[in-house]
Amino acid sequence: MSMRHLLHGAAVVVALWWLPAQPAGQGSAPPAAPVAAAWTAPRTPDGQPDIQGIWTNYDPTPFEVRLPTDPRGVNDGTGPSGDFDDTAPRRNQRRRSMVVDPPNGRVPVLPWAEAERDLNLTRIRDAWEYQTPWDRCITRGIPGGMFPSGYGNGYRFVQSPGVVAILYEMIHEPRIIPVDGSPHLPSNIRMWNGDSRGRWEGNTLVVDITNYNDKGDIATNAATGRIRGIAHSQELHVVERFTLANPDTLNYEVTITDPKVYSAPWKVVIPLTRDDDYQMFEYACHEGNHAMPNTLSAGRTIDKAGAAASKKQ
Amino acid sequence: MQKRLAGWLIVAAGLAIIPSVVRPAVGQPPTGRASGVARMPDGKPNLNGVWQTLNTANWDLEPHAAAPSPVLALGAAGAIPPGLGVVQGGPIPYLPQALARKHENAKNWLTADPEVKCYLPGVPRATYMPHPFQIVQSRNVILIAYQYASASRTIPLKARTEEAAVDTWMGDSVGRWDGDTLVVDSESFNDSTWFDRAGNYHSGALRVVERYTPIDANIIQYEATIEDPKVFSRPWTIRMPIYRHVETNAQLIEFKCVEFVEELMYGHLRKK
Repeated sequence: MSMRHLLHGAAVVVALWWLPAQPAGQGSAPPAAPVAAAWTAPRTPDGQPDIQGIWTNYDPTPFEVRLPTDPRGVNDGTGPSGDFDDTAPRRNQRRRSMVVDPPNGRVPVLPWAEAERDLNLTRIRDAWEYQTPWDRCITRGIPGGMFPSGYGNGYRFVQSPGVVAILYEMIHEPRIIPVDGSPHLPSNIRMWNGDSRGRWEGNTLVVDITNYNDKGDIATNAATGRIRGIAHSQELHVVERFTLANPDTLNYEVTITDPKVYSAPWKVVIPLTRDDDYQMFEYACHEGNHAMPNTLSAGRTIDKAGAAASKKQ
Repeated sequence: MQKRLAGWLIVAAGLAIIPSVVRPAVGQPPTGRASGVARMPDGKPNLNGVWQTLNTANWDLEPHAAAPSPVLALGAAGAIPPGLGVVQGGPIPYLPQALARKHENAKNWLTADPEVKCYLPGVPRATYMPHPFQIVQSRNVILIAYQYASASRTIPLKARTEEAAVDTWMGDSVGRWDGDTLVVDSESFNDSTWFDRAGNYHSGALRVVERYTPIDANIIQYEATIEDPKVFSRPWTIRMPIYRHVETNAQLIEFKCVEFVEELMYGHLRKK
């Protein structure tokens, strides 16, 4: 059996493992495996499934399936993944990757986008534009803001009639998702986080996001490995599915389509766990961004030293 | 009808920029349950929606005449609009040394005001920034999302059980209902925010008690009492109406101003 087949087989195991947590008939996974006994989510006064509270997603699962050449080997759930060291409770170590589609667990990023990112990384001391929007304290993006990092992975959900709001702890982003049937904004309004419009399908909040600008990244944190800092285009289209699987589990499934940057749509699944005792702190990112001037001034110091050295010659 | 009337008020005030046009409509907060106030299933006022103040408090909480633009190139477009002020009962009661600091702040406004750097606005300034904000009201918690700088406040409707672990830009808030008034008590602020572009400021000893009283479906009478014994000789209060955005498509639109200040803050460090 080739390594490719092995990887493929493991992906099916991952898919099956996910099934019980999803309502029947949803998602693209084949229907099999036992579905948990019918459970009705509580409702808000206006009849939405109630997903309010604080959720966290500390999770050391590798973002992508590791290549066979990776000295750490494929994550098999027998120990810490080592992607980042975190003292928060670990979970989901049975998963090879957060990317569940394509089945090989690898993001189908086009070579030019990877090359451009690699070039940007060599220029982070030149100007802020070469750094990720997170390093600039602008945003972690959507969906990037939901990809777990080493800390600050708290999310507070608040609902009111026609609205689901998510307060992202990291970079303090209050995200308002209308669930009132309203249409997307005109296409001339382009934004870092795009324009979110939601609707309920049973216990699943489906959010459609368009109107992105072409300055943001899909993922900004180190744990996303190879995908960190890959820019998206204005054609980015994101569909998120938040499914309340049981009182303490909110499954997050996101499909990313951007034909300019990826050869095919790809999908990530991450569970959120209810943790109402978790304390969210104000993350005043830009206000405390000493890394930015320090990085740039280091660059200018290196420039000066280089100029002085070439003068001597 | 109610909606249309308030819409007209906003249009009228917007055209005329005469605060007195709106004044008769706001008056004193009524003592009983106001009619026309939207309500939640539990009978509490329903403050959900997109709101904005309509005054020049962010320029200066105190009465001020019009003044030229601080940026020459902006001409009349950047001129400072006049305002009657929102402080109740006379000037802000600064302690003598603190007043000197306020004047110093005013002189250095462009380089010293945290707003110019896109820093979090603090409280109560977030309320009267020239941007809308959205209230997302649930039974036990109220989220206020401000368009400016993606600022927000989470206000649990409960008594404060302990002091916040750290001081913050937006402070630590708890809320309670006093009849139809949402009372929000905030403390544990840092000393880095200002109250306006005129240099009015506070220390880390700041405590703010806000009162949000809906007086009809589209107007909230807003009061904030400011207490800071290191800077002021006594507590003082600002007062202004907050208007609902009655446009059917009203919503917040992303205003991530960090991007707009990077050249200003880091431009001298860019590789030439």
